[in-house]
Amino acid sequence: MEIISHLVDGFAVAGSPTNLMICLIGAFLGTIIGMLPGLGPINGVAILLPIAYAMKLPPESALILLAAVYSGCEFGGRISAILINVPGDAGAVMTTLDGYPMAKNGLAGPALSISAVASFTGAIVATLGIVAFAPILANWALAFGPAEYFALMVLALSCLGGLVGDSLLKAMVGVLIGLMLACVGIDSNSGVYRYTFDLLHLSDGIPFIVVVIGLFAVSELMLMLQAHHGDVQPVEVTGRTMFNAKEFMLARWTILRSSVVGFFVGVLPGAGASIASAMTYSMERRMAGKDHCFGEGDVRGVAAPEAANNASAYGSLIPMLTLGVPGSGTTAVMIGALTLYNITPGPTLFQDQPVIVWGLIASLAICSVMLVLMNIPLVKLFVKFLQIPNWVLVPGVAAVSMVGVYAVHGTTFDLIVGTLLGGFGYLLRVMNFPMAPFILGFVLGDMMEQNLRRALSISNGELEILFASPISIGLWLAAIAMLIGPRLAKAIDARRNPAPAA
Amino acid sequence: MSERIFGVFLLLLSAGGIFIGWDLKAPISYEPVGPRAFPLLVFTLLGICSLGLVLSKRPATTWAPSPVLLRVGGMFVAVLAYALLFDKLGFVISTALMSIPLSRYFGGTWKQSLLAGAGLGVILFLLFDKLLDVALPIGFWLKPLLG
Repeated sequence: MEIISHLVDGFAVAGSPTNLMICLIGAFLGTIIGMLPGLGPINGVAILLPIAYAMKLPPESALILLAAVYSGCEFGGRISAILINVPGDAGAVMTTLDGYPMAKNGLAGPALSISAVASFTGAIVATLGIVAFAPILANWALAFGPAEYFALMVLALSCLGGLVGDSLLKAMVGVLIGLMLACVGIDSNSGVYRYTFDLLHLSDGIPFIVVVIGLFAVSELMLMLQAHHGDVQPVEVTGRTMFNAKEFMLARWTILRSSVVGFFVGVLPGAGASIASAMTYSMERRMAGKDHCFGEGDVRGVAAPEAANNASAYGSLIPMLTLGVPGSGTTAVMIGALTLYNITPGPTLFQDQPVIVWGLIASLAICSVMLVLMNIPLVKLFVKFLQIPNWVLVPGVAAVSMVGVYAVHGTTFDLIVGTLLGGFGYLLRVMNFPMAPFILGFVLGDMMEQNLRRALSISNGELEILFASPISIGLWLAAIAMLIGPRLAKAIDARRNPAPAA
Repeated sequence: MSERIFGVFLLLLSAGGIFIGWDLKAPISYEPVGPRAFPLLVFTLLGICSLGLVLSKRPATTWAPSPVLLRVGGMFVAVLAYALLFDKLGFVISTALMSIPLSRYFGGTWKQSLLAGAGLGVILFLLFDKLLDVALPIGFWLKPLLG
């Protein structure tokens, strides 16, 4: 019952005219950002975060804006996947497999509408999941002390190391570079200046927004230039825009199943939308038996990944809200948004800031409704945005990103650091270093150090405290399993089934 | 090869980090773990990992062909110049100057690029500074004119 009254309060927050407007704008912008190839949820959230802050939006509105952009991106990614065979964001890679063939067969309209309904279902299932599980997890996490927190953060980082990218070594290097950058600035416990090189601007540390814009805006644009081959024309949407009853009946269980699976995959740290959509796509393909045309334009092939990637995007908000430990790059940026407002995410958030948490959860539901209502009839309008030529889009994104960075402190020092980090990020990405561990390391750096020092202060310097409670032992074991497990499984798999010679 | 070179760079970086970090001591300490422990831990682990990058067999990095790399470098310089001149020239002028080369790189004709530069400079300034109340620099050249 308590949950219902909280939810009512949440809807009161999210339903205020300003927040509804913010939700609508965020959903609209998010769809466009998600749709544009190259720009995904993390870039969208990264670019809009500083602007929300500069506009002095209250924290709950800022978070609602970011969440709206986040879910809008997951909706938008499918449009370019279906119409130009280029995924708008990582989660939509699988959607291209059946979406583009459908569009080629003149079924662009049904493909877009069924995937919108699938996305909507995924989002709603995941919102219900958050309402059901998040308070329980938050309650349980209240028992965590600093030692448990430290172990939890190690677990989050090693999940990323185990799952993201091809190389454990590269993921570890990414994490450590992030942690290293987090060390810059004045040490809050002792007042010692660390790695500031007597630069006044560095004494508060490298601002979070600067790192995010450098890594996810500047370097992204450089990569776009590297991959630039002229503008692609989308397939025209002709014929019916709605799916028919037959298509819906074929896909309905697929949508539900994929939503549930996607949600649980999303909750795991490290496993994001792209893993969820790939998993459900192959699951559905296997379950379809012989009676399918996957790969040539099967509605289920469009519905499964879209339901899963929206559900997992929302699911990944759970570790962020309840534990204060993000499981993905995008949620790491959102954590950064909260810390900008001096709000420490974590289990106490549910007690101390119910307005923010429940307002956010309610706005997720409102956003999904807006998005599905917006996406089916207005799809032709959105396609127009796909025709914005890169020669105006790219300088526009560059300028907007810089405005955001400048707005926070009003110094060009931040802009210069951001650009240099962007160049560094470009080199890292060309060498296939994953970026999510980097940003997660940077976000978690300060929290990790503080919890480690607090734990060791309690035990007067004895390291045993880190492994003293059953919870922390469990977390350490899980961390080791996450690091070694996926690779061990791969090695065993490779030994059992030697790869057929290509 | 690129990854090995990068590994050497990181190795030097971690050596420098440890060297600087060694002297980070609090004048008065209230806790068993001081300000230098965590950075030293991070730099040591980074050193070990970068040694791994240097010593293990690394896959070759595929760099873009050199004309493309040159363009990417040019774009980086343009954005860096933008960052440096942002408050000196003011938002409108610096944005226009940054937009023109970027536009050209992404296939705009000269006419389109000039249009994009001028349009973005003015429209974004009006949008952010006037409409959304995000203060942007006007630039030293306009200040005396406006009084």
